Amino acid sequence: MIDQVCKVLSINPLAKDIWEMTFSADQLVKIYKGAGQFIEILGDKTWDHPLRRPMSISGITDSTMSIIFKVMGQMTSRFSSLKVNDEINVLGPLGNTFSHPSENETAILIGGGVGLAPIMNFLNELKSINNHVLTIIGARTKDEHHLDHDPCNGMYLTTDDGSIGDHGTVMPTLDRIINTVKYPKLYACGPEPMLKAVQQFGLTHDIPTELSVESYMGCGVGLCQGCVLKREGPDFAEDSYQKKYTVVCKDGPVYNAKEIHFD
Amino acid sequence: MTDFHIKIGSVEFMNPVFVASGTFGYGVEIPDLLDISKIGAIVTKSISLMPREGNPPPRIVETSSGMINSIGLANIGVEKYIEEMLPQYAQISTPIIANIVGWTFDEYLEVLRKLEAVSSNIIGYEINISCPNVKKGGMEFGTDPETVEKLTSLLRKATNRLLIMKLSPNVADIASIALSAERGGADAVSAINTVVGMSIDPYSHQSNIFTTFGGLSGPAIKPIGLAAVQKVYRKVSIPIVGIGGISSGNDVVEYMLAGASAVQVGTATFRHPDAANQIFDQLKTYCQTQNIQQISDLTGKVKLHS
Ligand SMILES: Cc1cc2nc3c(=O)[nH]c(=O)nc-3n(C[C@H](O)[C@H](O)[C@H](O)COP(=O)(O)OP(=O)(O)OC[C@H]3O[C@@H](n4cnc5c(N)ncnc54)[C@H](O)[C@@H]3O)c2cc1C
Ligand SMILES: Cc1cc2nc3c(=O)[nH]c(=O)nc-3n(C[C@H](O)[C@H](O)[C@H](O)COP(=O)(O)O)c2cc1C
Repeated sequence: MIDQVCKVLSINPLAKDIWEMTFSADQLVKIYKGAGQFIEILGDKTWDHPLRRPMSISGITDSTMSIIFKVMGQMTSRFSSLKVNDEINVLGPLGNTFSHPSENETAILIGGGVGLAPIMNFLNELKSINNHVLTIIGARTKDEHHLDHDPCNGMYLTTDDGSIGDHGTVMPTLDRIINTVKYPKLYACGPEPMLKAVQQFGLTHDIPTELSVESYMGCGVGLCQGCVLKREGPDFAEDSYQKKYTVVCKDGPVYNAKEIHFD
Repeated sequence: MTDFHIKIGSVEFMNPVFVASGTFGYGVEIPDLLDISKIGAIVTKSISLMPREGNPPPRIVETSSGMINSIGLANIGVEKYIEEMLPQYAQISTPIIANIVGWTFDEYLEVLRKLEAVSSNIIGYEINISCPNVKKGGMEFGTDPETVEKLTSLLRKATNRLLIMKLSPNVADIASIALSAERGGADAVSAINTVVGMSIDPYSHQSNIFTTFGGLSGPAIKPIGLAAVQKVYRKVSIPIVGIGGISSGNDVVEYMLAGASAVQVGTATFRHPDAANQIFDQLKTYCQTQNIQQISDLTGKVKLHS
């Protein structure tokens, strides 16, 4: 993990409130391990906003990295007004990676909202090694999508209002296409209700499932212990350590669905 | 060339910029980008008798120029610390100060004794007294002068190593607490721990921290820390380690002028893992341009308006 000043190479709106930014990252890419990893961007040189903002890596080349982000509050709003050649301080790459499906498994990738960022990265990673992949990307409405609904090529879009792709959440589509696959493995990133639904689906159908989770993050490198998430399991005694809670920035953000517990 | 050596008790440190407890783990699980050998000293996360899971999330939230945390002293416990962390210190030259926490006098003492029995790799102890005394209705150890003196002398009898009592700012009169630590035999005091704070989401109306109240840190508390150091400096003659919102070389200078002999960097490390080294580099530049021969000459030299 390193701390690099990076130059913005491109920044474009992809959909409503959603932006894609690519920046120079020659040092960062050298120690990149794979899709699922994230970076932390320092958005404020003053101390008005002390904490870095975690963002999944959505794409990578041999000298650049990309992120896809949604304007949520002050820092992401500031990121959206960055211009080409502006500099940002990036700490990364952080966290763990999705694990590849085994030879007979088919990956089904599921992204909700900007949860599509690490999913797109993983999709490209798997495609580059000729893996057969199915992808479902969900959003509330058409404006929030930037991809094409293309079931013939394994890309399914869903919208809550039916304005593009399948009508509904990602779940009915998953339920339908799961039967076309012999040995599925699920990978999901998105809002918590979606992760919960996918987790439930994976557990009840006994399908291996990996979830990339979010949590409010501080240092990003395991020092502050702020970003914990509850592990699945019996109610562990208070006098244990990291049995009850897992530190997302270090042990995650990708977890086996069996491992974690959403309240 | 400035001389950056400072002395606390009988221990000499190469430089006065340390990293603060709870912001640098145990000093060994540190990001590879970091040269820890240049850090003045590493203060470990608070170590308790039993392991602790810590508090439920949300544990942290950003605030203006700072953050609030309520980690709940999550730590591996002294046994595991001795087994897994201590041996690793043999590989690093940076002085290690073990921070100890307890909920009764006996707990503090037992942790210290266990470390004392094996602690060849530790240079000394910092005692976190911002912790509720379960035998005294949950009142923090650090809020009562008598309790602090008693705890300090108890620990003093059990070790000859460096003993630093870490003061809480959430008290009526921090100088009198420092005086109790001095009377109890402490080699030094460090100040300050985090300031009680709260944060609320105006839309969901929810507290942003699970435990409602947490500890405010970062530049937001620097003026509070400086005042605490100056007040303590006027009252005691043992050295003071200044803590609270340090993020630049100039901040170190201010703390030293207020009375600190050394300082600790906490929250700044969360922005830049290498913050302590960067701050020391800035301090070096300051001393060069200001022609400071001996860093310790700055201690307590603030000019007051008469
Ligand atoms: C591992 C990880 C990967 C992420 N990847 C992406 C991504 O690829 N694209 C994307 O758009 N978003 C991603 N996020 C979420 C993103 O970090 C937050 O949306 C962003 O920090 C909001 O900052 P803000 O200043 O705009 O919002 P604020 O005004 O600070 O707050 C708006 C919302 O963002 C949340 N938030 C604020 N600070 C943090 C923080 N330090 N950590 C986490 N959440 C926070 C708050 O809870 C609040 O709900 C990721 C989060 C994590 C933990
Ligand atoms: C996330 C976090 C965890 C902390 N944990 C401890 C701890 O375990 N023991 C302790 O004595 N102080 C702890 N502190 C307090 C710091 O050591 C320091 O006193 C305080 O943060 C003020 O310094 P700063 O403004 O530079 O961060 C913690 C602070 C933070 C932000």
